[in-house]
This record gives sequence, C-alpha cells and structure tokens, in this order.
Amino acid sequence: MKARYSRPVVRHIVLLCFSALLAIPLAVAISVALSPVEAIYTFPANFLPDHMEWSNFYDAIKRLPFLRFMLNSTVIAIIATTGAVLTSAMAGYAFARLTWRRKRLCVLLLLASLVIPAQMLLIPQFILFSSLGWVNTYKPLIVPAWLGGGAFNVFLFWQFFRTISRDYDDAAKLDGASHWVILTRVIMPMAKPAVATVALLSFVYHWQDFQKPLIYLSDFRTYTVALGLRMYQATGGSWMNLVVAASLVALVPVLVVFLTVQHHIGTCARTITDRN
Amino acid sequence: MTSRKKALSGGSGSALILPWLVGTLILVLVPLLVSIALSFLHWDGVDITDVEWVSTRNYKELLGSNSMTGSNQLEQGNRSLRNSPNGDAQFYRSMENSLVFAVFAAPLNMLVAMCLALLLNTPLKYVGTYRAMVYLPHVLGGVATILIWSWIFNPTFGPVNVTLKHAYEFLDPVIRLFVAGGTDAWKVPGWLTSEAWCKPALICIHAWTAGGSVFIFLAALQGVDSETRLASLLDGADAKQRFLHITLPQLTPAILFTLVTGFVATMQSFNYSYLLYNRAQNDGLLFVVLYVYRCAFEPPYRLGYASAIACVLFLILLIGSLSAVGTSRKWVHYES
Repeated sequence: MKARYSRPVVRHIVLLCFSALLAIPLAVAISVALSPVEAIYTFPANFLPDHMEWSNFYDAIKRLPFLRFMLNSTVIAIIATTGAVLTSAMAGYAFARLTWRRKRLCVLLLLASLVIPAQMLLIPQFILFSSLGWVNTYKPLIVPAWLGGGAFNVFLFWQFFRTISRDYDDAAKLDGASHWVILTRVIMPMAKPAVATVALLSFVYHWQDFQKPLIYLSDFRTYTVALGLRMYQATGGSWMNLVVAASLVALVPVLVVFLTVQHHIGTCARTITDRN
Repeated sequence: MTSRKKALSGGSGSALILPWLVGTLILVLVPLLVSIALSFLHWDGVDITDVEWVSTRNYKELLGSNSMTGSNQLEQGNRSLRNSPNGDAQFYRSMENSLVFAVFAAPLNMLVAMCLALLLNTPLKYVGTYRAMVYLPHVLGGVATILIWSWIFNPTFGPVNVTLKHAYEFLDPVIRLFVAGGTDAWKVPGWLTSEAWCKPALICIHAWTAGGSVFIFLAALQGVDSETRLASLLDGADAKQRFLHITLPQLTPAILFTLVTGFVATMQSFNYSYLLYNRAQNDGLLFVVLYVYRCAFEPPYRLGYASAIACVLFLILLIGSLSAVGTSRKWVHYES
C-alpha cells in the first residue's frame, strides 16, 4: 500500500495546479467585472484593477431587467426540478420494485429514450407545443419535466432504489402502506444522495438551458437569464465589463445549489456502481 | 392470493409509471416518428393544409443527387432554393465542422477526466474539495461562461493574447540571436475571429468542462479489484506495469461510455455555435445543429428540410456509437 500512496505532496501540487487552471477563467471574469471600461480596452492590460468598480454589478443589473430574468429562471427551474425529481422517482420506483405486463417493453423504451438525440425531437415538439398554443408561455419548458423528468434521471433512481433492501418495503406493507407512501415516506428519505443528484442536474439543466427558451419565448419580459445574457452580448458587446459582471451574477444561484448538495454526488455514484 | 397481489401492485404501479410513460410516448417516441415523416414532407409550419409530400426530395437536395434528378427537380419548379447536384454546401460544411469538433473534443475531455480521476482516487487530505473544484466547471458551463470565454479569447485585449504578446516580448532578445528581426513578424492568433483558430479555441473552452465525467471514472476506479492489485504488488509489478495491466483494463468500460456519450453530446452542441458564431470565422463554427435551427426557425421555415438534416445527424450518431460499441469486444474489459 505504501508504494501506491507515496508522495502525497506531489499529488497536492498537481491537483492545485489543475484547480488553478480551472479557476483562472473565473478569476479573469471577476477582474474584468470589477474594472472600469477604459481599463479593459488598453494594452498592456492591467489584470489587477487599480480600484474596484463595484458599481459595475449594479449597472449590469440595472441596464436590462436582469432581476426579472433571474426571477423568471428561478421560477422555471424550481417548478421543473420539483416535477423532475418527483416523476422520475415514481418511475424509478416502479422499475425497481413493481412488475406489470409489458414491463420489458417499458425497460426497452427507457433505454431507447436514453440514446435518442434530443435535437432530433426538437421540431416535432415545437409543432406539438405551438399547436397547443403554448408558445410564449413557460409550459414547454416546465411540463416535460413533470412527465418523467428525463430518461437518465429515471435510470439513476431505478439503480439507486435497487440498492435499498426490500425489507423496508415489506415492513411498511405490513403496516398497510401503499406504494405511494412507501416511496415518499420510506424509500426517498433513504435515497437522499440520488434525490440531491437528480435535483442538482435538473436545476442546472433548466437554469442553463438556452435553446428551448430561445425557440419558445419571444416577449423579452418572459426571458430567462440565458436569453437575457444573449441579449446583453448582442446589444452591449462593447461594455464587456458589464456583460461579464452580469454573467457572474447569473452563475451565483447554480454555485449556491451546487455547494449545498455537492457532497451527495459522490455518494450517489459510489452507491450505484458498488458491485456488492 | 398471488393473483390479487399481482393485480394490486400492477394497478398502483401503473399510476406511478404513468407520467413517465405518457411523457416518453408523447415527447420522445411520437416526435421521433414525426421527425422521420417530416423529412419526406415540405411544410412551412403555418398552415396544416399546406403540407406537401415530396418523397426523397429533401434528401436529394441535402446530399446531392446524380445530375439527372437535379435538373428534373428544377423543371418541376419546386421551392428549394439551393438545389445543386453536389448537395447543400452549407450542410456539408456544418457536418464537417461538427465532426471535427466532436472527434477532437470528446477524446480530449475523456483523457482529462481520466487523469483527474486517477489523481483524485487517493485517500488524500481535502480530496473532497478537489473533487468539487473539478466538477464545478461542468455545472457552470452555459451561456454565462461562454461569454466569459469569448472575452478571454478576445484577439486584442483578451488575457490569452495579452499573455502571448508579453511572452513574445520576453523571448525577443533570445530569438534575435538566431533570426534577424526577432519576434517582430510573429502574430497572435485571432482565435474566435479566425477561420483557422476558432475550432482549437472552442476545443479548449470545451475541455474546461471535462470534470463532468470524473465521477464515472472514480466509480470505475473503485471497482478495480484490490486483490488483483495486491497480488501484483507482491509479484513486484511497478507502477507503470500496474497501470497498464490492471488499472487501465478495468477503466475501459468507463472510457467507452465517456467517449460515446461525449461524441453524441458534442455533435449536438448548439450554444457554442449560436453564441460564438461570427462572420470572420467564415462559417468555421457553423455546427449542424445550428444549421437545423436556422432552416427550421428562420424564414422560409423549412421544417421538412430541417428534419431531413436532423435525421441524417441521427444516422451518423447511430453509426458512430454502434461502431464504437462494435469494436469494444476487442478492447473493453468486461468482468465475467
């Protein structure tokens, strides 16, 4: 064992270098966001601004209804994430615990939908949603999350639930619990790593999603953060310090959610792939 | 008793599976079939009575056809605008761009993720913090970070080229000893504003998000058989031998998975192409998904033609994935 884990100092140095490499873009972004606009369009550039222009953040938010975009995105992401966690856990529970006629067909369907490229489905989905009159509403962005929440999430819950002993189900069944009660009161509290992982992936997906809002939203008051940033890029490209400041503000919610649940992701991956 | 139990769990089960089943049928299976059907139609998406069956005309226009059919179609006075026997040049360009990006970006990200996982697979202090650091760019990747990167690669004021210019100045006296004029003639790349450099820049930008696959490799590393490793240690295998003959074979399933999913994902990337596209690139970042978007959602709204492109993309993804899985018997190590 000693041979394998030798030289931890070297590993620390290499990992620190990697971490620094990953952090550089964010450091550059913070430096630009805090610089006055004259300072970033000069050569040689000064990466440590002489004085911090904290007002950049205020200006960046004020120029467009950026807080409105943040609110829109938050509403969409939270409602969609709730639906994705709930409905994919339901399906995952069904795959892990129940038997029904044509289950094999459903498994096949799940695996197939894992590999069908999303871009292939975009145009027919647009035709469907626009014929329902859902263009310029949030329904095309939210409703799909409430209908299964993505094949990958279903698969993840299924695999995680498999690792939970059926003895708990049986004990609950003896007490007369229904499948719904077993799922929400027994299984899901024991599957916190899976719930956290699906919630994180789903929140990030809906927060960062750009293509679907671009297709479905045209009234700029309904814009999400991603669309708002694009608008910024298109209209305020010469005020790069403000564009970057707005970008940093847009990253804060993702960062907060990530830091809250990140310790669960490793547990989830370990549990699912554990071969015992 | 058993039949009643079965019926009970069946009834309750169908309620739990229902949202997913409805979603998959309405949002995946039917759209898949509609997409294939649409590729044989001409429709501008406005009036449903305006749908016109055009057979394989969309595909002929897209891929190019033999000289005869091309002229026939022109005589028929169809609505296609760029009908040439060689096919749609922009389609071929976009497919080539996407393929070049995917073929470089997917393996690079796989390699980076594997190296990071190997470094992180130790009982090191603060290893949890490092794992979070490495995974973070994956969740931050979106419009915001793409805009930040577009500044970093700004040809005049961006940090990359500023650093390069400083490096040229620094090296100038040394170069001058060997070459007259020193670094005066050296230019800095235009990165995202140049046809030649836009793809390398984008591959770098994409590599930043490689940490997303680290957990797949970490999970695979935990499956590495400790008994085999111990036996090899006792037999006196050195670190290189242990990596090549024990660790690497056990990582091959993760390598295959990351390569295939990475290829499928990069072939479908839209945001980079949409946000970083500019005229100076001379269509260098026109990816196939952006072209689909333009055909479908910009006038003259050719939904059928766009669907034909999407179907060709699907076919390429299918062939690429299946051939990777097909060769996997030869190099992927499966536990018996």
